[in-house]
Amino acid sequence: RRRARARSGAHACGLRELEVRVSELGLGYTSDETVLFRYCAGACEAAARVYDLGLRGLRQRRRVRRERVRAQPCCRPTAYEDEVSFLDVHSRYHTVRELSARECACV
Amino acid sequence: MILANAFCLFFFLDETLRSLASPSSPQGPELHGWRPPVDCVRANELCAAESNCSSRYRTLRQCLAGRDRNTMLANKECQAALEVLQESPLYDCRCKRGMKKELQCLQIYWSIHLGLTEGEEFYEASPYEPVTSRLSDIFRLASIFSGTGVDPVASAKSNHCLDAAKACNLNDNCKKLRSSYISICNREISPTERCNRRKCHKALRQFFDRVPSEFTYRMLFCSCQDQACAERRRQTILPSCSYEDKEKPNCLDLRSLCRTDHLCRSRLADFHANCRASYRTLTSCPADNYQACLGSYAGMIGFDMTPNYVDSNPTGIVVSPWCSCRGSGNMEEECEKFLRDFTENPCLRNAIQAFGNGTDVNVSPKGPSIPATQAPRVEKTPSLPDDLSDSTSLGTSVITTCTSIQEQGLKANNSKELSMCFTELTTNISPGSKKVIKLNSGPSRARLSAALTALPLLMLTLAL
Repeated sequence: RRRARARSGAHACGLRELEVRVSELGLGYTSDETVLFRYCAGACEAAARVYDLGLRGLRQRRRVRRERVRAQPCCRPTAYEDEVSFLDVHSRYHTVRELSARECACV
Repeated sequence: MILANAFCLFFFLDETLRSLASPSSPQGPELHGWRPPVDCVRANELCAAESNCSSRYRTLRQCLAGRDRNTMLANKECQAALEVLQESPLYDCRCKRGMKKELQCLQIYWSIHLGLTEGEEFYEASPYEPVTSRLSDIFRLASIFSGTGVDPVASAKSNHCLDAAKACNLNDNCKKLRSSYISICNREISPTERCNRRKCHKALRQFFDRVPSEFTYRMLFCSCQDQACAERRRQTILPSCSYEDKEKPNCLDLRSLCRTDHLCRSRLADFHANCRASYRTLTSCPADNYQACLGSYAGMIGFDMTPNYVDSNPTGIVVSPWCSCRGSGNMEEECEKFLRDFTENPCLRNAIQAFGNGTDVNVSPKGPSIPATQAPRVEKTPSLPDDLSDSTSLGTSVITTCTSIQEQGLKANNSKELSMCFTELTTNISPGSKKVIKLNSGPSRARLSAALTALPLLMLTLAL
């Protein structure tokens, strides 16, 4: 079953979206407004490069030990949405920049 | 439910077939000998191609550019130029809201029309093309969104202005332009300067020009039951920056200021043309056209005459520009009259309330009179899925309409009720001038269709 999913690409790295209340974001704003939150999610195994394989090899041989390294690509936003504004319960407007992802990639 | 669906499907197919067969469909206006007026930019091009017209136009512009307009117009040459130009396409040209080169178009318009008016008039003719399309679509959306007809407790609790903000935030274009004007209008320059008013007005104009009215009207004219909602509605245009000022000028002074600017002058004239209370129509609006009134009201936001709700009273709606009639001197009466077109205007009030309630007027030549604040005809029924309120598709509303007809009784041979459904569907598919024709030929057609509909319905009933 897992294979079928991987083949269809349902879990590949990409943009997902969620309708959330501003308060739910936990940023300290008390507003009942709903915003569209876009985030990046999905697998990046297929995007591994020789770099990642080499780094994994060196880590296994304990040539790299001390630093925190990441030997696999990670699904992250490569561009963000400019701004989103909303009114809070005290009738004050707020503008938040780069809240939501616009593009995703395995980097 | 199956029966209802089959019923609706049949209506829909029937309507589609009839509209395919009917020759009087979309082209509408051209067939009735009505031609759209030439826009002034185009009229100017036509005039420029003609030596007589172009030289007279140049003369007139010089006349009007003079320091004292009245003495210049007393000049014989200026008078002659004006007379010749009244025969040219420049004379009855119009402009469109948000058109390319709108300012240029309005400059051309006023260069002719300023010469025609005798000084300052109370109401000026609008340089904009009349809005012909009806608001039915938007009104229907509003009624679905507002969820009227659901259980009254939930309906009273819901905040339509909050729902409108949600709908905007979930649309990329609306969200972008809303965030843009909010961040500009909310940016403090210094402790003494609350914001850059000029930039804020510009961003507001962009929002109202470039975002479809189904989003902007919903935010601006949402109906409220409590103060929190009404305060949100009042805050829509960020009044502390775009509306309020240190001083409240006299309304006639503000009008003079507005009239020095071609755009502001035009939007005000348009408001007067479309929202002027009329005692001859059911809704108090000219030609019972709510859309035109709401559109020209929204068209003034972002200019010197920017109107807004004066307080956060949920139901007693009062809108006004930022001015008063203090210090009017002997012009007190004229000032009050000017201000009343905003504060005590039954047309504007009805239009705002009808939009909030999701009711459009459906005034047919012989039809029964429907009060402006009547409950919406499109009703949400319990048998429909709950998430309908989030849906914006046309298909949904067609089904909703049919279901509500269903509820009025399943007597298939009652042609009166069926014809109502048809009129409804007809307006859904092609709003506008066509409706009149439909109504005239209505009864016979409806009866025919009723007979047609009765057949499968009978069969279905038997099968069940």
